[in-house]
Amino acid sequence: MHGRVKVKSTAQQEEEKRKEREKKLKIYVAARDACFSKRKEGIWDDEALQVTQQLLSSNPDFATLWNYRREILMHLETVRDEEEVQKIYQAELSFLESCLKVNPKSYGSWHHRGWVSTRLPRPDWARELGLCDRCLSLDDRNFHCWDYRRMVVKMSGVPVDQELAFTDRLIGSNFSNYSSWHYRSTLLPLLHPESPEPHSPCREPRRASPPPSPQTHSHRVCEEQLLKEYELVQNAFFTDPNDQSAWFYYRWLLGRAEREEMISCVYVSRDEERVAVAFSRPVNAQSVGLLLVLDGQPQRVEWRSVHPRFKHSPVWICDLPPGTISDVTNEHNLTVHWTEKHTHRDCALYTGRSESWCRDSATDQELFRSELSVEKTSVLQSELQSCNQLQELEPLNKWCLLTIILLMRALDPLGYEKETLAHFQTLKEVDSMRSAYYSDLCSKFMIENTILKMEYAEVRVFSISDKNLTTLCHLDQLLLVTHINLSSNQLQRLPPQFAMLQCLEVLEADNNSIDNLEGLFHLPKLEEVLLKNNQISTLADLQPLASCPKLKRLDLRGNPVTQTANIESELTELLPSVTDLQL
Amino acid sequence: MAEEESQFEEFDQIDFLKDRHVRFFQRTLQVLPERYASLETTRLTIIFFALSGLDVLDSLDVIDRNTMIEWIYSLQVLPTEDQVNLSRCGFRGSSHIGIPYSTKGPGVLHPYDSGHVAMTYTGLCSLLILGDDLSRVNKQACLAGLRALQLEDGSFYAVPEGSENDIRFIYCAASICYMLDDWSGMDIQKAIEYIRGSLSYDNGFGQGAGRESHGGWTYCAIASLCLMGRLEEALSQRELDRIRRWCIMRQQSGFQGRPNKPVDTCYSFWVGATLELLDVFQYTNFDKNRSFILSTQDRLVGGFAKWPDSHPDPLHAYLGLCGLSLIGEPSLRKVHPALNITQRAFQHVQQLQQTWRGSTGSCSRQH
Repeated sequence: MHGRVKVKSTAQQEEEKRKEREKKLKIYVAARDACFSKRKEGIWDDEALQVTQQLLSSNPDFATLWNYRREILMHLETVRDEEEVQKIYQAELSFLESCLKVNPKSYGSWHHRGWVSTRLPRPDWARELGLCDRCLSLDDRNFHCWDYRRMVVKMSGVPVDQELAFTDRLIGSNFSNYSSWHYRSTLLPLLHPESPEPHSPCREPRRASPPPSPQTHSHRVCEEQLLKEYELVQNAFFTDPNDQSAWFYYRWLLGRAEREEMISCVYVSRDEERVAVAFSRPVNAQSVGLLLVLDGQPQRVEWRSVHPRFKHSPVWICDLPPGTISDVTNEHNLTVHWTEKHTHRDCALYTGRSESWCRDSATDQELFRSELSVEKTSVLQSELQSCNQLQELEPLNKWCLLTIILLMRALDPLGYEKETLAHFQTLKEVDSMRSAYYSDLCSKFMIENTILKMEYAEVRVFSISDKNLTTLCHLDQLLLVTHINLSSNQLQRLPPQFAMLQCLEVLEADNNSIDNLEGLFHLPKLEEVLLKNNQISTLADLQPLASCPKLKRLDLRGNPVTQTANIESELTELLPSVTDLQL
Repeated sequence: MAEEESQFEEFDQIDFLKDRHVRFFQRTLQVLPERYASLETTRLTIIFFALSGLDVLDSLDVIDRNTMIEWIYSLQVLPTEDQVNLSRCGFRGSSHIGIPYSTKGPGVLHPYDSGHVAMTYTGLCSLLILGDDLSRVNKQACLAGLRALQLEDGSFYAVPEGSENDIRFIYCAASICYMLDDWSGMDIQKAIEYIRGSLSYDNGFGQGAGRESHGGWTYCAIASLCLMGRLEEALSQRELDRIRRWCIMRQQSGFQGRPNKPVDTCYSFWVGATLELLDVFQYTNFDKNRSFILSTQDRLVGGFAKWPDSHPDPLHAYLGLCGLSLIGEPSLRKVHPALNITQRAFQHVQQLQQTWRGSTGSCSRQH
């Protein structure tokens, strides 16, 4: 249903239209019935072609008729000679052109044209490309036409560089031709492929799964061509900074491959006799071939996710049989195998230690910087310079601000933290429609920076207070954290993912708007929970705390729940281990 | 105070005219203007828009459910006595081929009579919306018909004689399997590969590999993966974040379907529901979205159009309502973002499925 603008008409015009429609209807019905009776009798002749043609001219979306027509044409191929068949199919192409003039977005017509082009004894691909050009000049976003053009190019073997030159022309005449940029993204990796990445020496050859999508990896374009593309796209966004096309394309050019899948952390605790494993992406432990080997012996264990809600989770836990590692005088060697990915991680639990872990730091994993290619620092720096220049000319342009933020994070997330926050502030003002999204994105970056700082300091304390945090993320990176300070932010909940903080001992989250504690679920080491001035309003909200066996101290001052009748006795019953309760 | 008053005035001008929309859909179910003639072959989809629209408006009581149910069953392509046409079963779009009216089997063999995947999908939805228990649906035949439509690359044809094939029909197939609680109707893994292959450089989904990203196909991709229960398996966290970014950038006031295209009412649902499935719909601007949708409202005949000052049509009327429902418009029922029916109808599906599982004693046969 395509948009039709309202047009007023007189009563007389209406009446004339009505009479015309009645006439058309009679002809249509007669033609349809003639058509089907022929079909029933298995008649495939010129008259049948005529009749279907009449019907399809007025209704090109009657898919069954196109099928009938294809049957007729295939039959005619067997009883006529090549010259005649050529003429018939050429007539078909003319007919299709008239159909497409009426409705250039008809699936049936384009599909049929594609079919005809493959059966024509002597196809005229130049003519087909010419048709596409005309069609695109009327509507350069007609994806039916683009898709058809791609098919023609493939069938006729038009060289990729010629098509690339075609996009050059289109983009050159109009930078905001989004469909051309898209097409370019598919051609570029074909013409200028990068040599495949060498295998890292210490890993077994990996199978990629899920399979990479063909379009999302610009690392498939060689560097020399990439630099030329940067120039082209810069011309575009300097010319019109408000056009999305160039910015999206630019983002893709700067992009980088997905990081390898692996086990990012193994943690083992003697006290709980428990092993926690963190993966680089959410998995379903039941189906990925997870194997735990202790001192050379495979162990039969049950893996569970941190919260019953999650079938897929980055963090999985299992309990070892009692007595296996409880003796602190024994040393143990653990290996967790992710057999599906042919990778594993070892962890040694030394004598005298009650816990141990093995983890790649976020920096080693290039966890947060790997949105863009890090080895091309000089390139990124010059890109940042260009964008900063543009920003001076167009201080309110959101695409420019977003790209600058991205480049800064790629180059030096901690070094550019102040500028990044300032840019986010501007961004929220100039693109206020998406300000909630930007707040969220900013929260994410602040969390990433805090994780990096925590690692540089080599401590297990995560402190991010008074940073306007609206959301929590990367909780799978906080598996080893013992103390967390989230005070004075804008958090509304501790989501189920929070249960990934398996080592947490102290939680400070005063002065937020928290009304949901789902994530404080079976946290084995949690002793202190400080939630002053939040929005906890019912006893039910506090239910998850009952699953934390070591909880001793709870501060609920300034929460609506403290006004509940008999709250103190209710809480004593719900949380018997708590000795220091503040209401 | 003065601010509040002027806000009120604004609201008056863009108020939601519920009754008009009810009457719009009623008329849709009775007779359609001549310019819809070309859609005759897909009439069942228009019925679905009207029925689901009325459901969202909590006004299904204005129609005769039983008559409607009978008519829909008359569109079922049933197996013949000798079951030779099993791979052609499903639901047809209307009676345009000329098969004699019948709501029960055995089926009649006709060389051009076959199910159409989008009609099977909307037919089942419509029956469920009307409260039917699907007891007269030949589930095995529908699934056989569905299997016959899937290609090697994972995508689906619309009809067994062949047609174009792309991601739209994967969505139809996934919905059918979900509703019938039986995934033997499709090869999920292949479908996932096709979906992944359709992810474009800018992180929207095209109709297929190498094709331009588009709000409608992005909805088909994400909703299909959600129905299959494979969203987080098929897409990495980073990919999901990028997809979120592409989608959230579609809001200009209402939503556009592709960059640099004008906003269009229906994308308030296609993109809005995708954002909802990806858990970030709350970051969109509800006021601007609502204002745009209501600017396409036809104050005289009801319904919504794709743009302001254009004729309304059932598709945009229905999806406009769904778009408003997503942002919590008070008088509208909530819509299930992946299945595109009301939560009420969805609960009916779930209850039905429980009774099915109870009686056969087997769990959903999900691969």
